[in-house]
Amino acid sequence: MKQVDVCVIGSGPGGYVAAIRAAQLGKKVLVVEREYTGGVCLNVGCIPSKAMISAAHFYEKMKTSEEMGFSYSGVKVDMTKLQTWKKSVVSKLTGGVGQLLKANGAELIQGEATFTSPQELEVKLQGGTKETIKATNFIIATGSRPIQIPGFEFDGINVFSSTEALEISDLPKRVVVVGGGYIGLEIGSFLAKFGSDVTVLEANNALLAGVAEADCVTVVARKLKKKGVKVLLNAKALGYKKSGKELQIDIQTEKGKETLPCDKILVTVGRKPNSDQLGLSKIGIKIDPKGFVQVDKQLRSSIPHIFAIGDIAGQPMLAHKASREGIIAAEVIAGHNAVMDVKVIPAVIFTDPEIASAGMTSEEAAKAGIEIMTGQFPYVANGRALSVGEGEGFIKIIANKKNKVVVGVHIVGYEASNLISEAALAIEMGATIEDIAGTIHPHPTLPEMMMEAAEVAMGQAIHIFARPERERPARPTVRP
Amino acid sequence: MALDFKLPEMGEGVNEGELVRWLVKEGDQVTHDQPLVEMMTDKATVEIPSPASGKVSKIVAKEGDVVKVGQVLLQLDGAAGTASAEKAPTKTSAPQPAAAPMEAAAPQRRQQTQQHTQQRAQSPGVGTSTISPPVAGADVLATPSTRRYARESGVDINGLSGTGPVGRVTRDDVVKAAGAGTGAVSYGFPTMAKTGGAPAPQAPAIRPLPAGPNISGQNAEERKPFRGIRKKIAENLVRSKQTIPHFTHVDEVDVTNLVQWRTQLKEQASQYGIKLTYLPLIMKALVATCREFPAFNTSLDDEKHELVEKHYYNVGFAADTPEGLLVPNVKNVESKSILQVAKEISELADKARKGKLGPDDMRHGTITITNIGSVGGIYATPIINWPEVAIIGVYEIQKKPVVVNDKVEIREMMNVTATCDHRVVDGAVAARFLKKFKERLSNPQALLLEMI
Repeated sequence: MKQVDVCVIGSGPGGYVAAIRAAQLGKKVLVVEREYTGGVCLNVGCIPSKAMISAAHFYEKMKTSEEMGFSYSGVKVDMTKLQTWKKSVVSKLTGGVGQLLKANGAELIQGEATFTSPQELEVKLQGGTKETIKATNFIIATGSRPIQIPGFEFDGINVFSSTEALEISDLPKRVVVVGGGYIGLEIGSFLAKFGSDVTVLEANNALLAGVAEADCVTVVARKLKKKGVKVLLNAKALGYKKSGKELQIDIQTEKGKETLPCDKILVTVGRKPNSDQLGLSKIGIKIDPKGFVQVDKQLRSSIPHIFAIGDIAGQPMLAHKASREGIIAAEVIAGHNAVMDVKVIPAVIFTDPEIASAGMTSEEAAKAGIEIMTGQFPYVANGRALSVGEGEGFIKIIANKKNKVVVGVHIVGYEASNLISEAALAIEMGATIEDIAGTIHPHPTLPEMMMEAAEVAMGQAIHIFARPERERPARPTVRP
Repeated sequence: MALDFKLPEMGEGVNEGELVRWLVKEGDQVTHDQPLVEMMTDKATVEIPSPASGKVSKIVAKEGDVVKVGQVLLQLDGAAGTASAEKAPTKTSAPQPAAAPMEAAAPQRRQQTQQHTQQRAQSPGVGTSTISPPVAGADVLATPSTRRYARESGVDINGLSGTGPVGRVTRDDVVKAAGAGTGAVSYGFPTMAKTGGAPAPQAPAIRPLPAGPNISGQNAEERKPFRGIRKKIAENLVRSKQTIPHFTHVDEVDVTNLVQWRTQLKEQASQYGIKLTYLPLIMKALVATCREFPAFNTSLDDEKHELVEKHYYNVGFAADTPEGLLVPNVKNVESKSILQVAKEISELADKARKGKLGPDDMRHGTITITNIGSVGGIYATPIINWPEVAIIGVYEIQKKPVVVNDKVEIREMMNVTATCDHRVVDGAVAARFLKKFKERLSNPQALLLEMI
């Protein structure tokens, strides 16, 4: 039996961060991980997908840089070698996590955990032996997993989840992606760039429904179309059968039933919290109807000495949200007066081009009853964007008309992911569009667009011509 | 769970304090706002009230420790029913969606807590508190660091109206709210509190002599902690004595006129309800003399090698209190009437006796007067109240035979000393200064000419 101050279950970006902070605060910490150190994010999520996406982007660039004077013949990608490189990236990072835990004095054990009482955890170690862990506090950080839909059970042969899709070393010729959310579009896009023929089925009437500002999605949808990715909206997958070497997938669209031939099916209809495991229901932890462990703003579950963080503790399911929650939970356990008190959790979608957002969409602002002013600046008017050959997209800044305080920023375009942090900082600090416009942004860089979007909102942009809304001349009246 | 109770801010610029005395012990049941501990900061002693009701599970800081603001003082167990948990959000605007899930969850959590009471008993300690600090609403503008600061100071930022651009809540706004304890939910702020009144007069008792010849026994010595105000005073005195080359110039002044004048004024002042002592008159004479000799109302900035000549005259006076020597000062004596100065002196002296002096009462002095005439003695060599450069001593007024116009007369005489920082003031200057000061004391009516 082991007795510790804090037992963290799960070593993903929530769990390992919580463990390190708790150890830093002088607690004796044990981390239990059943699968891989670093969790989904490092092993089969954020990191490997970005490796694949950037490789695909590079590959595409090589083939489309004729305008710059390049000519290529016989450019090929060795998928097996690409996978090896991807794995090396992943193992560098997971190894780093292991070292950090060790350096901070947090112990890591491998095994499957189950609560036997609110104070005790039974861990089935890899060899089959069982170990009992007693802890003053527990932090549940066991994350989420891909949702399966009936008739499309993940088998790793015909039907893939994101996990298997990232392992592909034999590129399928035709892929049907079920689910037009961000995971489906990210993976679908890179497969298309490597040469797969991709069809996306989305049950809703829009891609990325509810997760991004609508006009950002339009830019991505246009690019998908240009790259030959077929998107079917209001389309449902009904089932599939194997016929010879290929698969036949039955779908229901507005036009009626159809059958599409393909080689692989990727199901990315979302992720669900792993709250059905760990024996959580047995010890009586409250779980909400969507399967999330109910927590308060200090990440405390209904059993006060047990905390839950990350995907299992609610939306949005994002690594950086999990990490912050991990820090707060550890600090609360150490007796600090900490609480999840943030204005924005920025979100990034690695489609082509990328979408990044912080704060409210115009729709959300309208719902909250805020009268807004907006400023939008296009990539095509930015020197740096053009000189790297990435003129698609825009930055849109949304401010409260009353006091010019920035309430949301939405970016679609090259490197949007690396541009959004300035917006997050601005919103956390309560900055106004004047504050952003008044900050000198170096030339020639992409962030200049943030400054210019703010200036557009104020009606005084230099590099595009736009009058502020209120000064626009009224419609000419018909003279007698 | 245990709530870690940290030393809250105790005033502007006060970053630490010395723990004088615990008012509770481990295991004590305390109620919200009950004084927990006496902290001594920069000469003022404050009592820190409890942020919540609960049981003191662990005392972390020890008596005599110097504790920094934000450092943990004690742990409070089962700290429920705090101000933050009891009071509803003070905002009247639209409901905050962010806070709603938490509030909805609260009652369930409480039920759970009851269900698990038994289990909790087996695992005492951390993680079971139901205190959730307030979270800033969507329309509150404040930087993350300010939000954190508010939380840790026990201020609900939602209740503040910001003074920054477009209504941003600034750190200063939070400091003010924490100090005032208004417009915000407080989990406990220091209040200036009594540190014990003057001891009741006692009949002198004959002390028994140490019994027998056994002086080497264990009662021959007694060790007592040297801390609190006494230690702070000691530190200040050592710093002054080590930095400043002191010298004292002594003189004698005929204050017969002053005595008569004060006797007349005293009666008139009493109509204003003010007991007029010599000190306000002496302060006025001192300020008038300092105007002639600006070097006396100066401080030396050792770091920047600059003399700081002050155009305001905050005159300190040494107050003998049960806790030790305290030096409050009357601000801007140059622009106040004698009556006003007299009133403020008596208020400050009263505060000093009751241990209620605040740091501001003792800060920003420019020159000090020490007056131990009531006890006796001829003269003393006081220590300068650093970073000031002079301390003026006035002593007992005694009738003495004095030669006036070749005849011996009985006059009211008083010794007066000027103890100066020799780096700034030379001996001859001190002598000239004292001469002018004496002239004003012996002919106080002349002060009328300089009156503001």
